[in-house]
Amino acid sequence: MKKSNKQDKRQAENLLPWLIPIALIIVWQVAVDAKWIDATYVPSPLAVLEQGVTLWQAGTLQQNMGISLYRATMGLLIGGAVGFVLGVANGLSRISHALFNSTIQMVRNIPHLALIPLIIIWFGIGEPAKVTLVAIGVMFPIYINTLHGIQSIDPKLIEMGQSYRLTKWQMFTKVIFPGAMPTILMGLRYALGVMWTTLIVSETISASSGIGYMETNAQQFLDMPTIFLAIIIYAILGKVSDWIAALLESILLDWQASKGGR
Amino acid sequence: MKKRWQKVILVVLLFFWAGGTYYGYQQTTGSRDKLQKVTIGYQKGDPVDVSRSRGVLVKKMKELGYRVVFKEFADGASEMQALAAGSINYARTGDTPPVTAAASGTDIAYIAAGASRSSGSGILVQKDSDIDSVKALQGKKVAYTQSTSSQFLLLQALSKAGMSASDIEWVNMKQADAAIAFSKGDVDAWVTWDPYTAQGQVTQQAKLLTNGDGLSQNRDFILSTQQYAKKHEAVNEYLVKYLSEDMTWANEHPKALTKLLTKALGMKQTIVAKMVDRRDWTLTPMTKAIAKEEQTIADVFYENDLIKQRINVSDDVIYVSE
Repeated sequence: MKKSNKQDKRQAENLLPWLIPIALIIVWQVAVDAKWIDATYVPSPLAVLEQGVTLWQAGTLQQNMGISLYRATMGLLIGGAVGFVLGVANGLSRISHALFNSTIQMVRNIPHLALIPLIIIWFGIGEPAKVTLVAIGVMFPIYINTLHGIQSIDPKLIEMGQSYRLTKWQMFTKVIFPGAMPTILMGLRYALGVMWTTLIVSETISASSGIGYMETNAQQFLDMPTIFLAIIIYAILGKVSDWIAALLESILLDWQASKGGR
Repeated sequence: MKKRWQKVILVVLLFFWAGGTYYGYQQTTGSRDKLQKVTIGYQKGDPVDVSRSRGVLVKKMKELGYRVVFKEFADGASEMQALAAGSINYARTGDTPPVTAAASGTDIAYIAAGASRSSGSGILVQKDSDIDSVKALQGKKVAYTQSTSSQFLLLQALSKAGMSASDIEWVNMKQADAAIAFSKGDVDAWVTWDPYTAQGQVTQQAKLLTNGDGLSQNRDFILSTQQYAKKHEAVNEYLVKYLSEDMTWANEHPKALTKLLTKALGMKQTIVAKMVDRRDWTLTPMTKAIAKEEQTIADVFYENDLIKQRINVSDDVIYVSE
């Protein structure tokens, strides 16, 4: 079996994204081992990994990850659904748009941190408060992208649908929704990022579980390996959810000729 | 071919996502039952944390028809807010939070008190610091947390050394931030309590300038609101009874306790052992003498203009029958 030059080149390109993360980790390990940086403030990657294994064996790591995942997912489902419905309504109906859009845009720009006191008073300090905060964060990117996707559909396509005498429902499922899909998926991809950032904020509200709690708890005891571990877990979770969104894009947008080359 | 693989990967990832979410859901809710919920706020390494880790209290309360839920807080001041908001029914704090909360009009009920923790609370300075007495703190930056026992201890230490409150620079921060500020040398001293004191002493070889002996008893208190406690007298009694049983166990089994807390706190065993060695574990109903100690704190705070109104602690005490 002789590989062609082209294949070799492609494999090399596939490895390229990993180059910087791996190099960073090696430099980091070496720098700590050689005592260029103080291990009390920056533990080595191996120490972080060891801490991960210890916490996994104690059962706390998977428990906290599961709880974080639950809060994030519930927030995404609720916020995503609300954002999507509002986006569709405002995209299709001129009256609904006039009524709601400027209010939503106003609320959108409130920093999440500013909402924490309100959320504690309204929803207490339990799970609903955390899920609500994530839902609020996730809602806006989905809303904006759904709205934008629907608004920017080629009017010629709609005209064509009308000449085929499509019913309103057919028009939505055959023309508008598929047309808006690329933008909606982009919104989802962005929302997944927002989901994790909002989650860590929400997990500082008197939480006693979750990755965010694990990190703030470790801060109290200057437990640097756990702090780094939590940060790395967030990075990995973020990467995986982005990967899921990219896969969804690639599968659902199969019909788009421009994506064919990927 | 490539599309098919993408679909397989996507399905696998979504499967794990859903599985993880379901697992997390189970972790957050526990069993759904008809038991009456009792929420207790606590802090790391305190008597309630011992009972929580030991698990006996939860079991016994369950038999009596109560589901006990624990919520962790960073300091007593935050617990008092949660208590006032009704998010928790009971709180375990040090000696100062109930005083400042009562002065700001919060409904407070003292239910039970613990032993003195004076040897585990104190003022820490860095290991190579040239501060060798409380007097030497003159003009220095001292980290403390407002409305917690650290504030009272520092006030008492200063007055004992013949200084006034304005002789030092008070830096109010959460204990978590104070730990970092202290380790980096951003503050000259840090007034704190165990397990933070032990943590500083063991990991940074910090020196204990003075502990709380003769300054502040820094007892543990179990608090509730008058509104809740008067309606739930049975819960008050059960809690005091089982907490005090757990404390008796803790006193008799220091080794097992150290092991339990090491796991619960996620700290080094040497730190936990230091903390366990220098304190007693008890929890008893309130007494007149202890109420008087609290009155002293209230008076000192009033004289120093830290609270706006004079309060009468004995109005807030509920004497639980043993």
